[in-house]
Amino acid sequence: MTKKGETKAGLYKETLLAGLWRENPVFRLLLGMCPTLAVTAAVKPAFTMGCCVIFVLFCSNIVVSLMRNLLKPHLRILMFTLTIATFVTIADLYLKAFVPDMSETLGPYVPLIIVNCIIICRAEACASKNGLAVSIIDAVGMGIGFTLTLCLLAGVRELLATGAVCEIAILPLLKEDGWFVPWAAMSMPVGAFITLGLMLGLVNLLSKSKS
Amino acid sequence: MDMVTALVLAFISIVLINNLVFTKFLGICPYLGVSGRIDMAFGMGMAVTFVVTLSGTMTYMIDNWILKELGLEVTRYVCFILVIAGAVQLVEMYLRKFFPSLYESFGIFLPLITTNCAILGLCLFINLWEIDRLLEAVVLSFGAGIGFTMAICIMAGIRENLKLADVPECLKGAPITLITAGLLTLAFMGFAGMIR
Amino acid sequence: MYKIKHFFQQSWLLIVTSFAFGLLIAVANARWSDEIEWNKTEKLNRLSGALLPEARLELYAEVEIELDKGKKREVKLREAVSRAGDRVGWTFEAAGSGFQDKIELVIALDKDLKTIVGYKVLSCNETPGFGDQIKDPYLREQFEDAPIGKFKPVKRGEGDPEKIDSEIVTITGATVSSEAVVNIFNAYVEKVKGKIEELVQKQKEQISDDKEG
Repeated sequence: MTKKGETKAGLYKETLLAGLWRENPVFRLLLGMCPTLAVTAAVKPAFTMGCCVIFVLFCSNIVVSLMRNLLKPHLRILMFTLTIATFVTIADLYLKAFVPDMSETLGPYVPLIIVNCIIICRAEACASKNGLAVSIIDAVGMGIGFTLTLCLLAGVRELLATGAVCEIAILPLLKEDGWFVPWAAMSMPVGAFITLGLMLGLVNLLSKSKS
Repeated sequence: MDMVTALVLAFISIVLINNLVFTKFLGICPYLGVSGRIDMAFGMGMAVTFVVTLSGTMTYMIDNWILKELGLEVTRYVCFILVIAGAVQLVEMYLRKFFPSLYESFGIFLPLITTNCAILGLCLFINLWEIDRLLEAVVLSFGAGIGFTMAICIMAGIRENLKLADVPECLKGAPITLITAGLLTLAFMGFAGMIR
Repeated sequence: MYKIKHFFQQSWLLIVTSFAFGLLIAVANARWSDEIEWNKTEKLNRLSGALLPEARLELYAEVEIELDKGKKREVKLREAVSRAGDRVGWTFEAAGSGFQDKIELVIALDKDLKTIVGYKVLSCNETPGFGDQIKDPYLREQFEDAPIGKFKPVKRGEGDPEKIDSEIVTITGATVSSEAVVNIFNAYVEKVKGKIEELVQKQKEQISDDKEG
């Protein structure tokens, strides 16, 4: 927590908004880069990924916050990973059972949420020091911030790679008598790295001109 | 002889063609964090290589000989991450005892290897690719570590030179690193299709 | 004794939570495992259904097929049965290495094992926009109704993609991926055909044996 709100409600609001912009996990803290780059070729998988992260972050923050007074310092990281791994397994089973298409597209990137730095970082920096309410709000704020960033990046990439967002055509394709030639490179690793790099640059520029 | 060829091909493929950093986006966090200086990058790469070889082999054995036998595949992720955490702990103790100077310079990054996606990612990919020989799994794990070291060292070399370049103010730091990484992946795409 | 006590003092939380988490995973798995199984077969049925419409798939046999270089693969042969109960075709899954990664196909053969009904891509990781054009009708339609046998990949301009024969005109920009598909066909189709004929023959003999007995 950077600033203390004056009232409890102020603190909650502060925590929620921190995740969305000031401490946005991807743009500001540069955490959780692997899924950010890997699953953002299209909006749908990016959104599914974001939802999984929100779920896992939410549950693990609750559990960690509840047992924060019982934690032994040297077993701390082990406890965190164990908690996270459990909830990721559950999320993975859920995806396999009810959204099999997405589960296939995301593939090993669902279990890789375990090593997503955001979750372990929030457990360490927030949930193991704060009470239940703040931890939950922090999880929601961070999770939504992460999901929005992912969807934004995926939106740009999908639009340029296929001329459509969420499979809804926006730019008329050359193939169908339009003018837009899809940039195949955008859906490849190159597109991910360069788009994210330019977006980070843009965020830097914006926040600088603000201050 | 066939066996040797297969292993060599597996090694080349994981280092160049299916390089975890460039094609699977794994291990990006340390890739951005540590690649400032080439000696640090090399040390980090070596530590990762050691941990990934150890944990890749161990998870392969646990997965095939214990979990599949007992039908406990659901607990796979939990087991994998515990093995990795254990292997990291081992390396940490070893370094602290025998190479204190190296231990000092790694600082915060050693415990962070646990959350290095490259390691868990490789264990999962070995499982996904249905590797059926232990030796191949070992070679793949080792190759993944070498591939990671190579990627991070190339990046560190470029970044040392990048300091002299005139980069626009807002792109300094992480953004330009990401764009450079993008161009590197483009170069590495040339290796795709080399082996079939 | 002190050591054991110390051990439990330090790690009781870890042990308790491990049990709790184990239980949680077990419950989730028990709850959803049926759906997961169902989803797997559903996808296969959907793809094969597109190849052989109005047919129901039944697992006929699991056979081992020897590919080149002595590699062995388990292949699940499925029999497509029409509503009236007649056999209308066969499907099986095949895999081979493409440009970047493994390509997995579902291949359908007709009931007399003379021609190929078609194929669908189960999974592939080819370059988007280039290699993944193997999913497009251009390549798929060249295999449809083609006689079972060895296929030959040819460059564009050297063959006619419209003509139904054993020459497959590769996709420009996806030559390697198209060749990979052809190679999968060449590796599997004839061997699978042999196996099916063997099995059907065996079944017939059994039926006639039963009648005599």
